[in-house]
Amino acid sequence: MAHLVIERLTKVYERGKVRALTDVSFEVERGEFLVLIGLSGSGKSTLLRCVNRLVEPTSGRVILDGTDVTRLSPRALRRTRRKIGMVFQQFNLVKRSSVLSNVLTGRLGYVSTWRALLGRFPKEDLERARRALSRVGLLEKMYARADELSGGQQQRVGIARALMQEPELLLADEPVSALDPATSHSIMQYLEQMNRDDGVTVLASLHFLSLARRYGTRIIALKDGQVVFDGPPGAIDNAKFKEIYGEDAEEVEVR
Amino acid sequence: MRERLLLSRRRFLSFFLDWISWVYLLYAGFSVHYIRTSPTLIWRPEEKFVLPELGLTDWILVLLVTVELTLLVRSFGVSLGQRAFGVILARADGSPRVGFFPRFGHFLASQLVLLTVGLPVLVRPDRPWHERAAGVALLPRPRGAPRVRPWWTSAYALTGAALAGVTVALGWVVTDIQVGALIRDVDKPARLWRGLSRPDLSYFFVPHPLEVDSIFGALVKSLFMALLATLAGAAIAFPFSFLGARNITATGPVGRVGYALTRGFFNVFRSIESIFWASIFAIWVGFGAFAGTIALFLHTIAALGKLYSEQVEHIDPGPVEAATAAGGNRLQVIKQAVIPQVLPPFLAFTLYRWDINLRMATVVGFVGGGGIGLLLKNFKDGGEWTQVGAVIVTFAVTVWLLDFVSGWVRERIV
Amino acid sequence: MRGEALPVLGRLKRGLTLGVVVPAADMAVLALLWFVGSLFFGFLLYGREVYFFGPWWLALLGIVEGALLWGAWGLSPGMALARIALQGPLRGRAGYWILSHLGPVGALLALFDPEGRLPAERWSGVQAVEGGRRGRPWYRTSTGWAAVVGLVLSLGAAVGTLQIDLNALFTRAPATVKYWQQVFRPNTSLLVLGIQLLIETFFMALMATLFAAPVAAALSFLAARNLTRGWIGRPVYLLVRLAGSVTRSVDAVLWAIIFGVWVGMGSFAGSLALWIHSVVDLLKLYADQLESIDPGPVEAVTATGASRLEVIRYAVIPQIVNPYLSFTLYRWDINVRMATVVGLVGGGGIGFRLGGALTDFNFSTASMYMILVIVLVWAIDYLSARLRAKLA
Ligand SMILES: Nc1ncnc2c1ncn2[C@@H]1O[C@H](COP(=O)(O)OP(=O)(O)OP(=O)(O)O)[C@@H](O)[C@H]1O
Ligand SMILES: [Mg+2]
Repeated sequence: MAHLVIERLTKVYERGKVRALTDVSFEVERGEFLVLIGLSGSGKSTLLRCVNRLVEPTSGRVILDGTDVTRLSPRALRRTRRKIGMVFQQFNLVKRSSVLSNVLTGRLGYVSTWRALLGRFPKEDLERARRALSRVGLLEKMYARADELSGGQQQRVGIARALMQEPELLLADEPVSALDPATSHSIMQYLEQMNRDDGVTVLASLHFLSLARRYGTRIIALKDGQVVFDGPPGAIDNAKFKEIYGEDAEEVEVR
Repeated sequence: MRERLLLSRRRFLSFFLDWISWVYLLYAGFSVHYIRTSPTLIWRPEEKFVLPELGLTDWILVLLVTVELTLLVRSFGVSLGQRAFGVILARADGSPRVGFFPRFGHFLASQLVLLTVGLPVLVRPDRPWHERAAGVALLPRPRGAPRVRPWWTSAYALTGAALAGVTVALGWVVTDIQVGALIRDVDKPARLWRGLSRPDLSYFFVPHPLEVDSIFGALVKSLFMALLATLAGAAIAFPFSFLGARNITATGPVGRVGYALTRGFFNVFRSIESIFWASIFAIWVGFGAFAGTIALFLHTIAALGKLYSEQVEHIDPGPVEAATAAGGNRLQVIKQAVIPQVLPPFLAFTLYRWDINLRMATVVGFVGGGGIGLLLKNFKDGGEWTQVGAVIVTFAVTVWLLDFVSGWVRERIV
Repeated sequence: MRGEALPVLGRLKRGLTLGVVVPAADMAVLALLWFVGSLFFGFLLYGREVYFFGPWWLALLGIVEGALLWGAWGLSPGMALARIALQGPLRGRAGYWILSHLGPVGALLALFDPEGRLPAERWSGVQAVEGGRRGRPWYRTSTGWAAVVGLVLSLGAAVGTLQIDLNALFTRAPATVKYWQQVFRPNTSLLVLGIQLLIETFFMALMATLFAAPVAAALSFLAARNLTRGWIGRPVYLLVRLAGSVTRSVDAVLWAIIFGVWVGMGSFAGSLALWIHSVVDLLKLYADQLESIDPGPVEAVTATGASRLEVIRYAVIPQIVNPYLSFTLYRWDINVRMATVVGLVGGGGIGFRLGGALTDFNFSTASMYMILVIVLVWAIDYLSARLRAKLA
């Protein structure tokens, strides 16, 4: 059975009455590296946020491992969220806090509330944070403040935070849009590693088709909130490209 | 070498801070005790500063105790001064892990330094004898190091907490806080409450028999006082604010003097309360709204002048450079490049100042300024609480309305 | 806006703005003009205060008709502030004017128009459009003229009401020489007493700030729009904000009077007055700060499965600690300044003695106290600015 099933998902934003998603359906197998592409405003972020309900879907179902995420009680939703890691375009670190404390927030779904409020994380979690940080090569920055790091380093902290959750599913919303090409590749390789070595299913939205082709095992293209393409990376030819991005678009390479 | 001298400065300052904290702790503690147990039970400003009644030997004892406590904490923990000036006691080789005996040695050797009135520190300020003898050194605190112990068990945190605690206790007794009275006496201002909840508006348009102005009339006066003072103050502050802006004037010696004089004037006059002026002008031009207006006006010039000048200093230099490059003279540059940039914030400041002046108009009325403040003072002194209530409610509603309107307007013009 | 269908709420909003808010604002402006005009001419003609010139029905008629005419023909202040302008042929304006007499009824009728138009727009060919007529210099708009006329009339009225007599400044100057001599010869024997009073004033400000900050910080979470969602949160938010704004409009000086009666004149009353004013003032600053935090970290921490409290602890609080401290220091600075004034009415501290000296015209005493106050204010101002610079 599929790891994640999206069924007739629709989202209408109350403010401004925007139809961000219309009847989106697809399935994702365990271990897939699925890339979402589409123009700005096509609904990629909305779709990703509906999966862990940072955005409440208007209708439709999101089924993860057989449970319908859209029906969960707040408590059960938190339990489910801790299995879903998320990486953001703007990194979304707490800038004034240390790298370590940012990474430790990845464990908040696991530790008891009083421990969390007092900031007394168990020893194993500190050990886990060390491992996560050394995996992304930032062990020596553990006590630095997050806003002292470069963009690429901040995104690696974001990945370490997701690693702390020991996720089964990783949502990555344009994880490299704020980074230069070389750094982009290194970040994408971390995601690829998680996908390959830990068997994490990855759902990433990307702006560059070349990156999508290079890392994705499957591509879904959205246009105006609807799926206009679903298939392997190789299947996107020039005609498809024009359909997704409009007549005047030119493909840009990221090396 | 420079670094070492810097360190020795920090050593001295941190020691002084530590010692003075102990002295403060003791004296503040004593004051709390004294005020609490003094027969009148209140802080009596008529009396002189009170010192504990101690003999000379006792005073020497106090001195010794404070110094010893200071040394103890400095040797065995991170003291407040050490923390504040960023130094720690480390081993001579720089390692931060210092054992008990070197610390104890440091404590003992420091006694000798005391006996010789600090001579070793004077002789070799960079590496004094007592530290060499104990095999320790006062070094800059390494940055970003992980904490070994939670901070709240450290000496500096405990000292800080004690200082804060004693300060609050002192404040508590000095300001004579009585939570009991607050709760017990809720019904004391009963007539005032009644006046506030059901304000007696019978003298709203008709003057009270003992007063010249009705509430409405006094309110209008206060509004006009604030308006006139603000407008006139802004008109004067506006040209002077350019004199008081560093980036406009401080280009030659004359300009710099003008800058210093203007800013000095702003700073001094800003600190003199309007009530002071109100009283002086009450004598000068007679009691009443005119005196109050001048008082507010003088304060407004300085307050707005400072805000304006700072705004001029923070403008984007780009347009100024462009206008200068285009060959404009000083006045042309100000007109073309500076004024368009500062006008919206100036307007916002002025509106904001009107609001403040309106509030200040009440206070100014208390010392001879006229307007609603005078009415309030008279009603209060006469014990006419329902009238006091009416004035307070009227004034609060007016302020609220004006706040609302000016906020709305400000949002649209800035 | 032309030709675009609106939902019911949009129609209601449009109708209310055009049919009620704009005319009401214009009427308020005209009433104000009438009022200051009456005062102005009252002083000019009779030399006394006249609040409303002419019979009341004439004033009423002038204000109402004036506002409606203004709205129909020119860019009235109400329209300028609502950023709306009328478009359409000049001959339609008469019809617009006549139909705009419907007022609130017109606003109701706008509910039944698919585009939310007022009857006045529907039958006159004149249409209100958003955006207004931009780009005109202020002296070519009727609102600009009204502002100038209003300002001039107000200034005239102010000069009359306040009995401004610049002559007195010169003729009576010699009488004040004696007092100026006192001002420049402060009574230094009061130094020790003054310092003691200053300490009291200092503690009034300190205690007020210290006890206000935690209360305001706790309340601020209820007064931040982005943290109060749902059917419990929103009413609580509105309630706290409203209570804050009402309390804030009662000035600290007025609170000092109230508390002076309540707990007796003295520094306790003064501290309480400063305290309550600090609470509501800090509450606003804090809550505005909370509303402007970066939502990114909040989203990220929520996505890890953290509970609401944990999100606040890890994503919200780290963002606000420094700004909160900075605001508190700033408030402390203000409180030190205000403590003098509050002491004047509520008793307590140096302000009370200063006020006493001022009402007795004992200027050598007053100037001694004033100097001490200035020193304290400067010291705290400097300290607070330094500490705030460190926090930034
Ligand atoms: N909070 C919101 N309220 C109202 N409308 C929103 C909100 N968030 C997104 N939208 C709208 O929903 C649509 C889809 O937005 P979304 O952010 O999902 O697009 P996207 O594909 O991620 O675009 P981008 O590549 O620019 O990030 C857009 O039209 C957007 O304006
Ligand atoms: Mg997006």
